[in-house]
Amino acid sequence: MKHLLYLLGCIVIISSCQKVIDVDLNEADPKFVIEANYTAEDSTVRVKLTYTSSYFDASAPTTVNNAAVVITDHLGVSQPVVSIGDGMYELTNYVPLFETDYTLTVTQGGVTYTAVSTMHTPVALEDITYEYYPAFFGLDPGYVCDLNFFDPAGVENYYVIALSLNGVPDTKLTSLFIQNDAFSDGNFVTRPLFKDEFNQVGDTVGMELRSVDKVTYQYYYEILSIAGGQSSAAPSNPANNWDNDALGYFSAYSNSRKEVVIED
Amino acid sequence: MKLGLTVVFTFLLSITFSQKYTISGSIKDATNGEDIYGASVVVKELDNVGTTSNAYGFYSITLEEGEYTLIYRSTGFENQELKISLTQDLNYNIELKMPDDVQEIAEVKVNAVKENDNITSSEMNVTRFDPKSIETIPVLFGEKDIMKTLQLTPGIKTAGEGNSGFYVRGGGADQNLILLDEAPVYNASHLLGFFSVFNSDAIKDVSLYKSGIAPEYGGRASSVVDVKMRDGNNKKFNASGGIGLISSRLTLEAPIVKDKGSFIISGRRSYADLFLGLSRNEDIPDNTKLFFYDLNAKANYRISEKDRIYLSGYFGRDKFGLGDAFGFNWGNATGTLRWNRIINQKLFSNTTLVFSNFDYEFTIGEGDEGFGVRSSIQDWNLKQDFSYYINSNNTLKMGVNGIHHTFKPGALTGDNETFNEIVLESRYAIELGAYIQNETKLGTRWNFMYGLRYSGFSYLGGPNKYEFAEDGTTLSSEKTERWTTVKYYHGLEPRLSGSFIISENNSIKLGYNRIFQYLHQLSNSTTSSPTDNWVPSSNNVKPQIADQIALGYYQNLNKNMFRISTEIYYKHLQNQIDYRNGADLFLNNEVEGDLVYGIGRAYGFELQVEKKKGKFTGWISYTLSRSLRQFDQINDGKEFSARQDRIHDISIVLMYKINKALAVSANWLYYTGDAVTFPSGKYEIAGTYVPYYTERNGYRMPDYHRMDIGLTWYMKERKRFEHNLNVSVYNLYARENAFAITFQEDPDNPAATQAVQTTLFKLVPSITYNFNFK
Repeated sequence: MKHLLYLLGCIVIISSCQKVIDVDLNEADPKFVIEANYTAEDSTVRVKLTYTSSYFDASAPTTVNNAAVVITDHLGVSQPVVSIGDGMYELTNYVPLFETDYTLTVTQGGVTYTAVSTMHTPVALEDITYEYYPAFFGLDPGYVCDLNFFDPAGVENYYVIALSLNGVPDTKLTSLFIQNDAFSDGNFVTRPLFKDEFNQVGDTVGMELRSVDKVTYQYYYEILSIAGGQSSAAPSNPANNWDNDALGYFSAYSNSRKEVVIED
Repeated sequence: MKLGLTVVFTFLLSITFSQKYTISGSIKDATNGEDIYGASVVVKELDNVGTTSNAYGFYSITLEEGEYTLIYRSTGFENQELKISLTQDLNYNIELKMPDDVQEIAEVKVNAVKENDNITSSEMNVTRFDPKSIETIPVLFGEKDIMKTLQLTPGIKTAGEGNSGFYVRGGGADQNLILLDEAPVYNASHLLGFFSVFNSDAIKDVSLYKSGIAPEYGGRASSVVDVKMRDGNNKKFNASGGIGLISSRLTLEAPIVKDKGSFIISGRRSYADLFLGLSRNEDIPDNTKLFFYDLNAKANYRISEKDRIYLSGYFGRDKFGLGDAFGFNWGNATGTLRWNRIINQKLFSNTTLVFSNFDYEFTIGEGDEGFGVRSSIQDWNLKQDFSYYINSNNTLKMGVNGIHHTFKPGALTGDNETFNEIVLESRYAIELGAYIQNETKLGTRWNFMYGLRYSGFSYLGGPNKYEFAEDGTTLSSEKTERWTTVKYYHGLEPRLSGSFIISENNSIKLGYNRIFQYLHQLSNSTTSSPTDNWVPSSNNVKPQIADQIALGYYQNLNKNMFRISTEIYYKHLQNQIDYRNGADLFLNNEVEGDLVYGIGRAYGFELQVEKKKGKFTGWISYTLSRSLRQFDQINDGKEFSARQDRIHDISIVLMYKINKALAVSANWLYYTGDAVTFPSGKYEIAGTYVPYYTERNGYRMPDYHRMDIGLTWYMKERKRFEHNLNVSVYNLYARENAFAITFQEDPDNPAATQAVQTTLFKLVPSITYNFNFK
């Protein structure tokens, strides 16, 4: 779809323009947002509780520090995830058991919100390769890195990929890539990951291949279509695994990493 | 069927027992021998008696024995009178002449008969254009575009800038049946919608029907756009063409055998990519392709006095490519083979075989790395129509047709190791239609067209049959046999339109139609894209049903100098399609599980004031309308505005002929912004602010307006050569109309968010040179 936009861009390059405008938006009642990740790599559960704010409000969102947050494993054993301030809750040294479900519950204002996510076995990131690209629509020439891995055959796999540059991870939502194996099940997958700028000789490029469950993938798929200024005909809030109408998601995931230094 | 026809015929013939004779023949343009469609034949001595020529120039009128004066006339031609003594059946082939100076049309001859077809015909809500009549209207990049001009008339709304899709009376863009010589055109746009596929040079007539749609048409819920290609000059060789900023075109036409047959071939190619090559911009990869081309061809031959064969075709393609990295191309191909036979003076038969194909393909990379995705829809349609000119008060039409549809929703192929080859199941269907209609005159004041269409749709086996749960998850899939019916839908579609002539200057008309639509287009973007796939009705997808009622009042003023038409309508739509949040429309065999179904309603008021004659012509149109949808799964089940729910829509088109050499034109349009979904809040996910939505289409884009002007200079005419130069400016006052508004983080301050408006065209000048060798 991006290519279509390039085409549109070509056609209207002569006269199109962009500008920031004022739009009069309604005020919605604040909604509860739960962003929760359970990362196998460091055996840590991280939860962030906030409320929605007015769209053009530049101040920090309202956070919740007095909620009861509990994670439960597939045997029904629960552990509290404790508040560390600023709306953040954390549970460390919580060792995962792959291919099992974890349930997170958040109780706030008399309402209990529940979500379930499956912790999948990590898939090894095989290699990072790169190739040279000439100048391209205003981008300086440079290198694009390819992700390479073996997709396990016979199972549905869902991935989220994050990049880092010279040791600095870029895990911002709009910088993430998503991948599934609907068209590539059981294959050796090579995928170029295009960023806003090409990489240069001497850059250290890192990749993190996260194995996520289907509901997390679907959440990222939907939220990426509305974040970062993309416009679809009928944007809507992404479907997620929370009940009681909470926004956000709960994702248990494992990962693998690699780094490469780009040489001439 | 045969027995049925015989019974109907016998019954109808029995009405006509007194001594009557028939005058029939053809009506042609004297200069090039083209058949004239819709020319009137009026009997001077009788009130409200007459007929019109059909699409092949054939007319037939049956009168009692006597002396009559027939007046033949058509817009743009001089009237011709014929005195006849009707004592036997007669055959007259008429050639109408154009006045020496086009301007004279205004001053001469107009009063010979009343020019008030709009008042007297029962046909309502038809918008008809001959491409010549609109050639001076300014358009984007000077590319004459009849589809864009249609969108300046009431009730027909443009889908927006950079989009040649359109909405008729609140219906969706996929609810318009676009026919080119009877072949459906599935994607009528070039360059992602900046231009339509119709090359004006090859087009004879475009008619758009928006209500009281005749039973001969079926298959799309909101409108019919019937485009007829020219037959080609059958008197002498003729070459014409034009050179513009975006594209050039050339048309050649000549007799095959003089007055017996002719051909026309018309081509057009755009060359924006050549400019890219010239610009030597290092940012643009080599081998960048960006163009479209069109080829229209048609030949006709009269094999006998009574039989005529036509073969016409269209082939068009858009190609876009960035070196080896990326390629995207799409196009339509249509073909029509037609046999006209005048069985007798009263009975006209038309047998047609129609082919239509639309496909798209995109490719990424080359060789081992490359892969491609392809998709297509293909139709074969066999059609038989009869027109029976019973007497001067009744014209009966009937016909049957059957279409075989093949859908290839998508295939992923290539040598790339990453991807498995995926070929989505092809799907097949047969669509049947049968209709009967009668146009009748009751006394001198009432005209009616009434009829019935039967439509049936058989979703055939071949692909798996899926069943889905309420929430869209797949419950079961089972194999089906090719050529078995998996699901059959059918229905009766009553159609009616009538007019009551109050006086020669005003009338009231009423129209009702029910239409079933069995094919649906799935689209997930704000602009129309060639990748919007068509899907058939199936065991999961029900046909769309539209019921529309319309009422109109028409008034002509100042000796038919001004025509005022006002219409109101109400439309009810069933089984409208939308998709679940997060639906995956791409290469998905189970896409039907992602669809949801609802209802729609649309209503409105339309007003048009038109001046057709004189140096100064044009129209003002205003539409006040609403278009609403309701789906249980969307917007908490509450009714919401359809995207095209524009409350006010105004178009003003003015053309002024200063003198023989100069014509100027201007148009101005204004409409309420589209209904859109904007956020009502935001929240942070993975370090990024994302929008929070509360309702579907609860906001409005800013109102749209712009003015265009054009100047056409008809340069000195030589004996066998004429030429003109057209200069136009699109969006003269450089209004920054919003193409899109996006909500995003402020790039300079990640804590803040902003709304960014994209504008496509601010003031686009263009120049086109047109020529004609006679």
